[in-house]
Amino acid sequence: MTFSAHGLALLCYALASAAGWASRRRPWAARPVAWLLGAGIVAHAFAFLGFHREVPPIPLESFPAALSLMGWLFAAAYLLSLGLTRVRDIGPWVATAALGFTALGDLGLRFLRFPGLGDSSGTWSHTHVLFSAAGFSLLALASLAGVGYLVKERSLKRKRDLPLPLPSLESLDRTESIALGLGFLLLTLGVGTGFLWATSFGERLWTGHTVFLLVSWVAYLLPVGQRVVLQQRGPQPARTVVIGFALLLVSYLGGRLVGGGV
Amino acid sequence: MTLVLLGLNHRTAPVEVRERHAVTAAEQLALTEKLVASPEIGEAALLSTCNRTELLALSEHFDEAADRLLACLRHEIGDGTIAVDHVYLLRDRYVVEHLFRVASGLDSMVLGEAQILGQVKEAYRSSVAAGACGPILHRLFHRTFRSAKRVRSETGIGTSVTSVARVGVELAREIFEGFDEKRVALLGAGEMAESGLLGFRDAGAEHIVVLNRTVETAVSLAERHGGKGLAIDSLEEELGRTDILLTSLEVERPFLARSTLERVMPLRAGRPLLVIDLGIPRNVEASAGELSDLYLYNLDDLAGVARAGRVQRETQIPQAEKIVEVETERFEIWRESLPLVPAIRKLVERSESLAFEEVGRHMRRLRELTAAEGMPLERELERIARGIVAKVLHGPLQALRSSGSGGWAAYDAEAVNRIFGLDEENE
Repeated sequence: MTFSAHGLALLCYALASAAGWASRRRPWAARPVAWLLGAGIVAHAFAFLGFHREVPPIPLESFPAALSLMGWLFAAAYLLSLGLTRVRDIGPWVATAALGFTALGDLGLRFLRFPGLGDSSGTWSHTHVLFSAAGFSLLALASLAGVGYLVKERSLKRKRDLPLPLPSLESLDRTESIALGLGFLLLTLGVGTGFLWATSFGERLWTGHTVFLLVSWVAYLLPVGQRVVLQQRGPQPARTVVIGFALLLVSYLGGRLVGGGV
Repeated sequence: MTLVLLGLNHRTAPVEVRERHAVTAAEQLALTEKLVASPEIGEAALLSTCNRTELLALSEHFDEAADRLLACLRHEIGDGTIAVDHVYLLRDRYVVEHLFRVASGLDSMVLGEAQILGQVKEAYRSSVAAGACGPILHRLFHRTFRSAKRVRSETGIGTSVTSVARVGVELAREIFEGFDEKRVALLGAGEMAESGLLGFRDAGAEHIVVLNRTVETAVSLAERHGGKGLAIDSLEEELGRTDILLTSLEVERPFLARSTLERVMPLRAGRPLLVIDLGIPRNVEASAGELSDLYLYNLDDLAGVARAGRVQRETQIPQAEKIVEVETERFEIWRESLPLVPAIRKLVERSESLAFEEVGRHMRRLRELTAAEGMPLERELERIARGIVAKVLHGPLQALRSSGSGGWAAYDAEAVNRIFGLDEENE
């Protein structure tokens, strides 16, 4: 039942993604994108409830579950932002990213086994994972938008067509800006709750994971500063956002390799 | 007489070459006058748009006329450096077909654009004003207008497209989400600027500024379509806040220098500036395109954008080409019949003279008949008519009878049937 709901969510994201890309040539196909993403989000939420009720429960802190959570957050953040901003034309990209994260998570959840976290699993750990995953997914979105901006900017400068249509430069810049702001805020909360979690259960504070996470948090101060303090936009903040996310990925994977964290 | 056309366009020559061979309205008239004054040229016209410069002539001698047109394009319009690769030369039927295609927008950078017909009309007016438009060019131009109108009204080639300036609107969508909060500045207040203004206004732009050397023209254009007219001196200040700049000034060298844009760009905090240069010669220094956050597109660059939107209209090309073909054929039939004109005129004159002679011969008797009532007037008129027919047909009938002995009777009978429409009468 749990995995059926997860599979249904995957199917919805896949259909939303296909409709989104098809809408580039057939505008009528854009209509069901938001509905399909919405249906995917609902099915995905049921799947998470199911993970919690499994015996033993599948921990939200596990890597595949966190990936799946990122997919869910991607789609949910996009739907929430539709009414607030004019980022409709990134729909296909969001649907594809949600599909990618959820598919990877699905594979991991089906084929890997997860040790329980014992007493340390609880409110702080869940809050930490929720904030971090949300922050991660938004920063991934900002990074995607940043890459898109740089590619599109280059194609416009060189006056060459791109094999894949990208949203307008302004759409990409706005998406990057909003996702960076919210993502950094959530990452900050994730880092904070992570430290609280570690200290409240007497865990070792300075592990590879925490050090790398802190380093990438500091690295993100640069694009945030460019955007907020210097009011910059365009290619410069796009470059630093992409570099920031690369650092975040390295720190996450590096932290897991060095050990000392979940 | 041979029709000759020599020219260059956006397909054969890049913008750097075209801008060196652009012709202003005043030059157009003077050059047409000079061309028709040449002994090799009988009639002449000059078509100049942002994408083409074409010289059209009617001459007894093709080679001499072609040499004269090339000399005019190379030395009187250009700077003597044009390569032969950039030029095309057409003759007779191909000239007619080319002109019909050009006026219909089939040869335009933006397929089906309507502005070109106005520019062809301008070439005709200029030719008339220069005293260079004789009966053949006069007829050719009128057939051209007719052909263009047929293509536009009978096919969908002009739907969803208007002008090069409007292609700029499509390009701007690649950079901006919408235009309602964007500031659009138009440098120049001519036809191109007006087309651009309408394009951006229809796309939702609310803040439009027109800058021109003659501020009254800028204000007039802005007032007609909504916007603000300003003097060209405020350009630098305007560049700091504008998002889209569309330039279409008639200048000899770039009006907007890289150094000006270098001063302005840092003040924009990374806000992109799209500059669409529709001028020939170009209005903006080409190297300005290297500046960060500045996207500079000239007419050649817009061709790529225009190609993307032409797929739907391309389906109309075969129908449009068919119309051009039919109209070309009609014109050629007329042109090929021109050598017959003197013979036809002689035939009419001779027939009339024979008829008058016959009427004169019977005049005295007619007067007598009119004076004496009750006499058979109908019979006398019948006799006159028979006499006229006999006299008119005497020569041709003799020639026909004598041709029978040469074995040409069947051919001649067919010709007589065709000329006088006797077969149709029988049917």
